[in-house]
Amino acid sequence: MSDQDLFAYPRGRLHAADKDLAASLQAMVQKEVMDKRLELKEDYDGLLAPSLARLMAEVGLQKMFWPEKLGGEEHNEPEAAYTVAAALEQIGRADVGLAFLAAHSLALQAAVAAKGSCREELCAAVAPLFCEGNRPLIVSFVLPAMSQDGGAPEWRGKGIQVRAKSGPEGWTLSGKAVRPTCSGADAGLFGVLCAVDGEEPAFILVPGDSHGISREKEFLKTGLAASRNADLDFEGVKVPAANCAWRGEEGFLNLLSWFYLGLAAAGSGALLAVYEIIKEWGDNRVIKGRGQVFKENPLTAALMGEIAKEIAVDRLLAYNLADILSDPQAYGDDGPLAVFTSALMLVHHIYVSAEYTIHRTMELMASAGYAREWQLERYWRDLKTVQCYLGAYELAKHDFARRFYHTKTL
Amino acid sequence: MRTIDDITRPLDYLPPAAQILSPIIRNWADNEVIPYRRQFDEDWEDHTLIHPPGKKLLGEYGIQKLLFPVDLGGMGFGESDYAFTSMFILGEEMARADSGLAVGLGVTLWPLMSIALKPHVNRRLLEEFAPLYCNTTEMISGALCMTEPQGGADIENVELLKGSTIQTTAVRDGDEWVINGHKLWPSNTGGMADLLVVVCTTNPGSRDPADVTLIFVPGDLPGVTQSGPYEKAGMACDKNGDVWLENVRVPLWYRAHGPGKDALFFLDIISIASGVTISFTSGMMMNVYERLLEFVNETKLHGRPLKENDAVAGVLADYTATLEVIRIVGYQAARMLDRSDLYGERWSPEMMAKMRSYRYFTMDRCLDVMGKVMNLMEAYGADRDRDIEKHWRDIKMNQLWLGGKQLCQIEAARWFFECETL
Repeated sequence: MSDQDLFAYPRGRLHAADKDLAASLQAMVQKEVMDKRLELKEDYDGLLAPSLARLMAEVGLQKMFWPEKLGGEEHNEPEAAYTVAAALEQIGRADVGLAFLAAHSLALQAAVAAKGSCREELCAAVAPLFCEGNRPLIVSFVLPAMSQDGGAPEWRGKGIQVRAKSGPEGWTLSGKAVRPTCSGADAGLFGVLCAVDGEEPAFILVPGDSHGISREKEFLKTGLAASRNADLDFEGVKVPAANCAWRGEEGFLNLLSWFYLGLAAAGSGALLAVYEIIKEWGDNRVIKGRGQVFKENPLTAALMGEIAKEIAVDRLLAYNLADILSDPQAYGDDGPLAVFTSALMLVHHIYVSAEYTIHRTMELMASAGYAREWQLERYWRDLKTVQCYLGAYELAKHDFARRFYHTKTL
Repeated sequence: MRTIDDITRPLDYLPPAAQILSPIIRNWADNEVIPYRRQFDEDWEDHTLIHPPGKKLLGEYGIQKLLFPVDLGGMGFGESDYAFTSMFILGEEMARADSGLAVGLGVTLWPLMSIALKPHVNRRLLEEFAPLYCNTTEMISGALCMTEPQGGADIENVELLKGSTIQTTAVRDGDEWVINGHKLWPSNTGGMADLLVVVCTTNPGSRDPADVTLIFVPGDLPGVTQSGPYEKAGMACDKNGDVWLENVRVPLWYRAHGPGKDALFFLDIISIASGVTISFTSGMMMNVYERLLEFVNETKLHGRPLKENDAVAGVLADYTATLEVIRIVGYQAARMLDRSDLYGERWSPEMMAKMRSYRYFTMDRCLDVMGKVMNLMEAYGADRDRDIEKHWRDIKMNQLWLGGKQLCQIEAARWFFECETL
């Protein structure tokens, strides 16, 4: 039994192909990312960009959902949620930032190209970006956010960052100092929730090389080195009408639910790596000068036990979210809002737990907890950064209240 | 408009010099550090940007003279009844700008505390090192070398292990000590230590406190080797590295005090560091309050300033409530260190337990609320330009040194519950 298998997950729900994919990704990221960490650290050009290319283009994660006739693999049944979870867990174990980028791509694919809902014109317009050539396509989202513009149209209290107008030649987008979820400096495709005057919001796909997009300088942030983020300006950016993926809330909630699945799996994977680090420490660190190893001391063993408990529960929750997405009807089929709320609750729960867990782990390892050499601190920075991009937990609680208490004014 | 000066501190504890000290350090922080600190992380090896503010404060303003007697060119704080409340003010104001810098500058004074604080002043050693610290405008870096590869915090667990795990040896040879050993992680090393205080044993494996020695070692002596700095999650201003000592020779009188006393006064400086570290926590939290105040005023939710949302206000209240309490606890700890006539000797198990308790309690509370405000700021919480994330990284590192949280818990439980085997 491998160390990962100590943490239960519903392996019986995964297809053989999912297990094979997870196993090959585990081996690949171990060799190509984890084994090179000490030397290359968070080197974007030397480590992260080649790994992203390998995962997205060569392994083909960016082709997963698209129809075969458009060059994809057409693995677009709802059960693909398990594939997403298994794959992103392994990638997250190696690098949360890589998993974060992959989660964007897979969520967009799931929302746009899922079986039964794939619109031919849109898929034909977008799939080639993902399926042709051997370069990775970095996908980024522009989601509603707190802003300094008090007059921005809102979605659930947060300002929609970009406004769009529909015309005979398609859509025209405008927005200043827009903060994307990732990779503002180099994304090849933006999925943008846009406010439309007097109408429902539109979710519009905008190729990164569209005229009128200007990118600010990449900014420094706590973690997620794979994401070279920068603020954007959209000045009269024009895209064809077909690039509108959907209007209204339903499709957007579905996209977010899949996105949260990816983040949940990335978090679970990172925690498996944390377990490996603290296990090695507990096996070898001698304390109290008596030849007693760390794991045999009652105080530190209790903390290590609690760390394992948190990781075990988080892994189950991540796969449970995959199960919800793979078969919503089994959970009551109460529509996309119910699934979205469950997804939001689970992913926040995992990231609150992850922060707690890594803090406890760092405390056990003292200075080694924050030394780059031991790697733990990178997971700590990365997961906290994801949590920030996930949104304020306090405001997510309002989404929970809306669903469970039918609040009307939050 | 509220400012950090509205955060409470016990005014009756403040030293007479507070009105002078605070503005000087705050002015230094605002002009010499804060405009440059966002670039400090990338300067962790070279200290091209980090060195000038350190030099200005320690060398040019003369803070490195603080503990030396006035007649030796110092400021005489070593014999002051307000030494620790003064250091608390210093630590708080420095950490508001950059806690790594606060640690680096503070640690320069730390090893000197073993010989400069009443009632255990070693006049001869102060005379020996006063010219190094007092007759220059260059920055001097001091380091206290404790941790060793084999046992991490074991050396700081003096009450239980009584120095038995120390492997760095001091062997008497005529009028000299010959020191051999390997130390890890001392602040202000990584190539920059001018003066080291090395925790050694004269009898490896001994549980007799008389065998624990604190020996002063000039950093440029033959046999002293410092590695380059370690790369860390933050605190770039504080360089840590390996220190190897190979047949390093110093005069016998470079020992801080003598058998038994060195172990006691080693406990003293651990106790002091535990208390004074809280100043770094409250200083960082005050700066986060400043930056958070800007954010919640300028950022809108439902078309109104973020702070006007009731749920958000709950988080903001938790933050400032925690800051209020931490600042008061910190000043209380400093005052207890100043008034050993009222609270007991600083190196006593009781004071050690209480200082460790205050330290880990305040760190835990700070980390809890700082993590929440960082998340409250969503994507901007992780921005280097907002400064919150820097303090979030640094405060965690503050929590983990000096043996980390578990050692604090054990020492607290040992005293309060009279445990005999922990």
